[in-house]
Amino acid sequence: MTSPIDIEGGGTSVVVDGEPQPETKSDTVKLEGRSPGQLMWTRFKRDRTGVISAYVVGFFFLVGLLAPLISKLYGKNPYTVYADERPELFDSAGVPVQPNGGISGEFWFGLEPGNGYDVFTKLIYGIRTSLMISVAVTLAVVVTGILLGVTAGYVGGKTDYFLGRFIDFLLAFPAQLFFIASMPVVVSLFVSPRDETPTYVRVVALILVQWFLGWMGLGRLLRGTALALREREFIEAAKVSGASPWRIIRKEILPNIVTPLLVQSTYLLPGFVTAEAGLSYLGVGIVEPTPDWGQMFSKASTELVMQNDITYMFFPGISMIIFVVAFNLLGDSVRDAFDPKTAR
Amino acid sequence: MSRGGRHVYGALSVLAAGALVLTGCSKGGSDGSGDDKKQQENAKRQQASIRFGDAADSTGPAADVPGAKSGGTMEVLQRDSYAHLDPAQIYVSDEGSLASLIHRGLTGYKATSGDGSKHEVVGDLATDAGTTTDGGKTWKYTLKDGIKFANGSPITSKDVRHTVERLFAPFINQGPTYLQQWLADTPGTAYRKLLKDGPYNGKHLPGSLLETPDDKTIVFHFKTPHPDLPYALAMAGYAVVSEKGDTKEKYDKAPVTTGPYKVQSFKSGKSMVLVKNTNWDPKTDPIRHQYVDKFNITFNQQFETSTKALLADSGADQTGVSFNNQVDAGNLSQVLRDAKLKSRTVSGYQPYVGQMNINMSHPAMKDKTVREAIAYALPITPFVRAYGGNDAMEVAGGLISPTVSGYDSAFDPFGKKKKPAGDPEKAKELLKKAGKLNMKLTFGYINTPEGQQYSTAMAAGLKKAGFNVQRQEIPAETFYDQVSKLNNTYDIFHTAWGADWPSASTVIPPLYDGRVIADGAQNYSQVNDPKVNSEIDRINKITDPVKSAAEWEKLDQYIVKDVVNVVPTAYYKQTQIAGSKVGGLVYDDVIGGIDPRRLYIK
Repeated sequence: MTSPIDIEGGGTSVVVDGEPQPETKSDTVKLEGRSPGQLMWTRFKRDRTGVISAYVVGFFFLVGLLAPLISKLYGKNPYTVYADERPELFDSAGVPVQPNGGISGEFWFGLEPGNGYDVFTKLIYGIRTSLMISVAVTLAVVVTGILLGVTAGYVGGKTDYFLGRFIDFLLAFPAQLFFIASMPVVVSLFVSPRDETPTYVRVVALILVQWFLGWMGLGRLLRGTALALREREFIEAAKVSGASPWRIIRKEILPNIVTPLLVQSTYLLPGFVTAEAGLSYLGVGIVEPTPDWGQMFSKASTELVMQNDITYMFFPGISMIIFVVAFNLLGDSVRDAFDPKTAR
Repeated sequence: MSRGGRHVYGALSVLAAGALVLTGCSKGGSDGSGDDKKQQENAKRQQASIRFGDAADSTGPAADVPGAKSGGTMEVLQRDSYAHLDPAQIYVSDEGSLASLIHRGLTGYKATSGDGSKHEVVGDLATDAGTTTDGGKTWKYTLKDGIKFANGSPITSKDVRHTVERLFAPFINQGPTYLQQWLADTPGTAYRKLLKDGPYNGKHLPGSLLETPDDKTIVFHFKTPHPDLPYALAMAGYAVVSEKGDTKEKYDKAPVTTGPYKVQSFKSGKSMVLVKNTNWDPKTDPIRHQYVDKFNITFNQQFETSTKALLADSGADQTGVSFNNQVDAGNLSQVLRDAKLKSRTVSGYQPYVGQMNINMSHPAMKDKTVREAIAYALPITPFVRAYGGNDAMEVAGGLISPTVSGYDSAFDPFGKKKKPAGDPEKAKELLKKAGKLNMKLTFGYINTPEGQQYSTAMAAGLKKAGFNVQRQEIPAETFYDQVSKLNNTYDIFHTAWGADWPSASTVIPPLYDGRVIADGAQNYSQVNDPKVNSEIDRINKITDPVKSAAEWEKLDQYIVKDVVNVVPTAYYKQTQIAGSKVGGLVYDDVIGGIDPRRLYIK
């Protein structure tokens, strides 16, 4: 694929007496060297869906990152029990008196039925919690996948065999059931009986259990790639010239697995977001009063909210749909940009 | 009565895809107004105490329910299957409702008004509520003529003697223990030594305790006065058991009944059919009616299911009712807002009073100023909200419920009725005075959706007052076992307790007598106050029920205001709903639910 002719980039062409020389120009452009990364970037920029998705995803991350700042400007926090602070806005069952869950200029997304938390700050802090956990899980999974997958693929032999069986073993675990069963156990390992379970313990436990059963897919994929790369000439050349295995993995193999790695992790992350939300929905993840996306769903599914304030459900619901769809589209675009020849 | 089947566990609602109808907006608010006045009336109607009826009051038949008709089949939707049918094993309130239809005892509560608010204790199988000549040490009962079991055999004093003696048998372990303790004159479970195997090995209670000189007469002898005996005998747990028909453990599944209905079939966990007992003579019964031909009871109907079915009011559900299911918290406000449903719903108090216990065994909690700070800071509103608002919970002042005689609605030492969200400023001041600002406070909460909701908001309220609150979840199934352990780690935790009969003598002694502190006992706050202990002994000896009720209320106020080992939170209320063809729908304050004895089909 050639890039369009850059008319203003004609710094190398010589203009003689107003006579343009387009042939020379296109020649110089063709000669310009581009790395695969640059090629990918130009292709990606032309994919409108991908760019829009990237902006949406970026927006979510920005919101999560800036949640404390936003709520400071907005003047509220997700821990204030407005049903006790501003009782005039609620009836005795904790349902906002105003229609649509009490949406007003003061409370932009309304108030949560029950304890009356502010929905807007709860949502942005919930996004923050969920994304933080998911990013951490993704990073841990990627690192583990690279380490074990590439090792298995490159070293081969017995190492490959045992790692392969270990992966099979872990894949046989029913993941969701394992999460539900192991979360309370992991949490109780860390906490003294006099104290409340600190939020960070729950966060760490969530990251741990999801990481433990999350890395195998990526690990297998990288093993396959490394296995194929191992037989290629440039690796053999490096071996012959006396490079250490560590150097070969670092300098020769890793740059070549960036493509599947990036593509896979953009698919993995939204998966972890929904899994984390699922756990919190079931009550084994993050619990009240710490704001969390999934926990907002579980609140939305109570009879109180369903009967009296259906509007509440739209905020966590729609924001999560947008996020997951955008992230998946982004993943597709990244894949297309890296590997345009593969038909889908 | 504690625990039982009636602690409100919210069921996690299943989110059906179809429920996600995109209506886009929702109406604000969930309850109507003008409930306050009704509440006060409710409270007022409770304050008349229950008197003991004489022979004329105890003569059948019961006054007709206006407009009542005979015949028809009634569908009954119940949540929990009945674990026990043997009267001696019946203690929880849903089995109590059933017992009001199938079992009879020496005494019973007769409704003296059409709205279920006024009662008197009358003789049921006996000719009167009991006569005593020495202030409650000796009680004499005479059986009525013409009383029979459902199998046609007459009820004699031998059966009553057998009923009492089998209470001491080892397999009777679920029912009330008042009568046994009074006869043996010991607290706790030591009464079992009196008659180890019950009457089954030919041993009997001596005449110095229980006398049956002829077929009609029963005399109880106690060592200390027990003026409350007529109340106690009215409990379902002391209903009469047939001596000849007693099958010991098996009696629990197939009892020989005495009431206007008998069990035709019972599939545990699925269904039960009650039909008329032809050997029941209305002339002997001042309390019950027999209008409906048949009750079809189905179990496993959760509150949400039964509410939706009865709201829909179609087909068999038109003659449907639930003795004990209440309208679930989510639907409650909608049901009460609908004027058309007014004739189909009844509301009233349950016997339970919620209270936040302060663990007196912890050194940090021994400081009274700290306990007062907790009492001032604790917000009650989260608790009320979690269970569905003012229609389900009423902010409490004292520990004596509106359903118990002696209740004082004006008593409110910590201003909870005016400031249900707590008074953090005042609490902070007290905490500063005690020099304990930011002290650690471990809050054990029951891990139900409601428990999670109210505990977070309560913790937020306590934090505002300067406590460093540590919330700890306790599994719902073992909650009462955990908090009744003497060495538990919780500084504060919430429990509920209901009176067994409308007298505080079934509330204050088991909960606050310092001499009954033990693992598994109900003195949850582990309070041991010499004045409370001596007052309990003194008031227990007062024979005049009106006077003792006033004294109990005084002691209640002393406990709440001066001992501060508990903070009363709320009086439990409930609303129940029935189909459109159900007549005689009345909320009975003694039963704590719909009165099944008055129901008929329109």
